[in-house]
Amino acid sequence: MKVLKSIFLILLFISSQSTLSQLRIEITGGAEDPINIAVVPIDWRLEFPQEEYLHEIIKDDLESFGEFKVLPPKGMLSFPSTEEEVFYRDWRLLNVDYLVVGHANKSEIEGELKISYFIFDIARERVIHKAIMSGSIKSIRRVAHNMSDKIYDKIQGIPGIFSTRLAYIDKPSADDKNYNLRISDIDGFNGISLFSSPQPIMSPNWSPLGDRMAYVSFEEGTSRIFIQTISTGTRSGIKLEKGINSSPNWSPNGARLAAVLSKEGNPDIFLYDLKRKNWSQITEHFGIDTEPDWSPDGKSLLFTSNRSGSPQIYQVNVRSKRVKRLTFEGTYNARARYSPDGRSIVFVHRRDGVFHIATQKIRSGKVRILTDTSLDESPTISPNGNVVIYATKRKDEDILAGITIDGKTKFILPSIRGEVREPAWSPILD
Amino acid sequence: MTLTKKSLLISLSFFIAACGSISNERASDASAVSASASGAYSDQGITSSNVLYFAYDKSDVNSEGREKIRNLAKIINKEGLNVRIEGHCDERGTREYNLALGENRAKTVAELLVINGVSSSKISTVSYGEEKPAASGSNENSWSQNRRALIKTF
Repeated sequence: MKVLKSIFLILLFISSQSTLSQLRIEITGGAEDPINIAVVPIDWRLEFPQEEYLHEIIKDDLESFGEFKVLPPKGMLSFPSTEEEVFYRDWRLLNVDYLVVGHANKSEIEGELKISYFIFDIARERVIHKAIMSGSIKSIRRVAHNMSDKIYDKIQGIPGIFSTRLAYIDKPSADDKNYNLRISDIDGFNGISLFSSPQPIMSPNWSPLGDRMAYVSFEEGTSRIFIQTISTGTRSGIKLEKGINSSPNWSPNGARLAAVLSKEGNPDIFLYDLKRKNWSQITEHFGIDTEPDWSPDGKSLLFTSNRSGSPQIYQVNVRSKRVKRLTFEGTYNARARYSPDGRSIVFVHRRDGVFHIATQKIRSGKVRILTDTSLDESPTISPNGNVVIYATKRKDEDILAGITIDGKTKFILPSIRGEVREPAWSPILD
Repeated sequence: MTLTKKSLLISLSFFIAACGSISNERASDASAVSASASGAYSDQGITSSNVLYFAYDKSDVNSEGREKIRNLAKIINKEGLNVRIEGHCDERGTREYNLALGENRAKTVAELLVINGVSSSKISTVSYGEEKPAASGSNENSWSQNRRALIKTF
């Protein structure tokens, strides 16, 4: 009996591990003027009950960064599931700006479902998008995230990011002495460990297609850059040089990695050609050059250098190798990332001894501090450019937090597992 | 160095969205696989005579540290030991920048050992940046313990 009970408990533990969200988005400061949207429960026309409700997943998605306020079903006056069943007056009364309705049917393909859905603009009284979303019945969350992306795209005019993923690194704890490189859906569900090691893991970076991950592992007693294919787990170390081998950053076309080597005696920026398997040098300076990031057009790199006496952000043209300093405010500016349009940078900025995440337009050079937390680092920008997730501290513990680039919505992503850091946002996965 | 690898298969429901089409949007499955490594390199066996501490954002060795290095150099030369120097930082500042700073610390110690007669062929250096703190906590007490170089002999 006792044995049975413990087996049951173990099974319960395993199943709850797979369904629980490991990171949870908790909004700590929201936008004042969210868009009001109603998502009517999707009419489920399949012979078995749905395990998770599509409209609830979509609600969580749309509200996760504070841009939308989703009307719950209990406040609705009617529950349409087709275009014909919609009465605009019902929704105008509820001050709804947009409405989503739909119905789910079994697909001709075994194990799949099809959702016919419609997005309405209530003020203009018209359908702005109608489509059929199909996908695996077993992966209902993914289907819902894809619908959320479409809804976001049709209303905001930029791609949704609810199907993207987040990589991060677990700090060793009393429960797990290993460093873990994990990836999960952006809402924290479907978390898995990609790589686990008793030695540090650093600087995860997604390939442009989102199918591989580059990172630094100390498993051989020294820093080395590894590339791992996510679907197969196959991993290999790239050509090791003497000294630091670190800070990998994938070129937009996927052919090269920018990285840092100190084989010449001090850290400089190098490029690694993934096909030819060789290194070429980009910067050459006796100071520290580190933290490269490719511009979206693949023509230049951002990097951090202390060549002026304190760490500042520079840009180097990959072909001409001409270097230009970008930051001038303050005595600590580091770990910069380009915005997806290549016109702004987001980076770590120290002011009055406190490390914040800041942004500046490359041309104007004016710094705007985004975060009011401290010891902030490792900013990563959503592929649509709207949100920044970064690592920070809460009561001495490593946690992830986020902020929309307009500064309106702030949130934290506490982990149920322990302390986490080094977030890396995936590209849009398609 | 012992390195054992094991692979653990974790199935993951992973859809890939095909966007752009007006009438038909679909998703498909894929899976992900996990890997792990195990190895040595702990701080075990380290005594105060093998640890040097540094000021914030600095890699200069103070007079107390130089004294330690002189004493260690004598033992290393007498017993024909090899040396591995690990540079570490506190958590302030970015991780990759700290990795570079930790290397400067390790290299400074290596140079001082060479000045004290240790052959450079016997010395290896590694930086762990801020990845392996000796003390947790975001305060000067912890930070001062974490800005260190470890001199490991074998």
